[in-house]
Amino acid sequence: MEQGGTSDVLFRVFGLEVTGAVTTMWAVMALVIAVLWLAARRIERIPRSRAQSLVEIAIAGGENLFSSVMSPRRTRQFLPLLGSFFAFILVCNYSGLIPGAGEFRGFKPPTSHWGVTAGLAAIAFLATQYAGIRSKGLRYFRHFVEPLFLAPLMLPLSMIEELVRPFSLSLRLFANIFGGETVLLALLLVIPYFLPITVLVLELIFGFVQAFIFTLLTAVYLAGASETQGH
Amino acid sequence: MSGIALFASAAVIAIAAAAIGSAHAQGKTAQAAIDATWRQPERAGNIFVMMLLALAFMEALTLFVFALVFVLAGRIPA
Repeated sequence: MEQGGTSDVLFRVFGLEVTGAVTTMWAVMALVIAVLWLAARRIERIPRSRAQSLVEIAIAGGENLFSSVMSPRRTRQFLPLLGSFFAFILVCNYSGLIPGAGEFRGFKPPTSHWGVTAGLAAIAFLATQYAGIRSKGLRYFRHFVEPLFLAPLMLPLSMIEELVRPFSLSLRLFANIFGGETVLLALLLVIPYFLPITVLVLELIFGFVQAFIFTLLTAVYLAGASETQGH
Repeated sequence: MSGIALFASAAVIAIAAAAIGSAHAQGKTAQAAIDATWRQPERAGNIFVMMLLALAFMEALTLFVFALVFVLAGRIPA
């Protein structure tokens, strides 16, 4: 089905459309996995390779940060998920800023598509429910009706609150990256020299902040679902 | 005015209004965070994380409008 220039389908695998964002996502996955695999290839108690020290610093920083929203035990439990989120989203956000990235058809920041961020948010949502049920059993569902005398009022409200979370989580990330790309494109069309640099610098900051926010909010949701009493 | 021009004006006004609102709110948040950091510099890291969380929720409101404009833009007849 050729639909002209608007669709950016590169090829099809079993009838599924493979777009530029998908191929970029594969590249990002390969990059993240390769870097972390190289860093973890020869783990030593006292790291001698620079890669291992660097990744250890990053993980220690993440552990430090997340233990400010949840208990150390939970931090250890959820760090693999949160760390993967952060690494993947960060590299995805930055993938659109590589010089010349716009020249290739198969190269688009995956996080500028709602489908990708919605998938990430769905994982966060499911992980939240799983963490809640795992740590509290069926008592987890009590927080939906918590002030019991208000249960008929609270139930729909808390369910809406729960369902809005992945929606806003995904929309925030998608709109930020997509908006940045759009503004960058518009500026490039008007003044191609020097002016886009300012937006590029802002995008570098936003890309990091958005990856950070996504991970932090997921951590907060996970903590809210699994911690019994505050933290 | 053609439909496109009307839509473009409406979109610009909507995004501007949303941006004014969340910029105002984010300004207040940042001010409070800076005040708090100045008063208790030893809690700076904690305050920064909380500020970022609060900012993210306000930011989302503008971005909802932005996304809505894009959804609607695909629906208006050319």
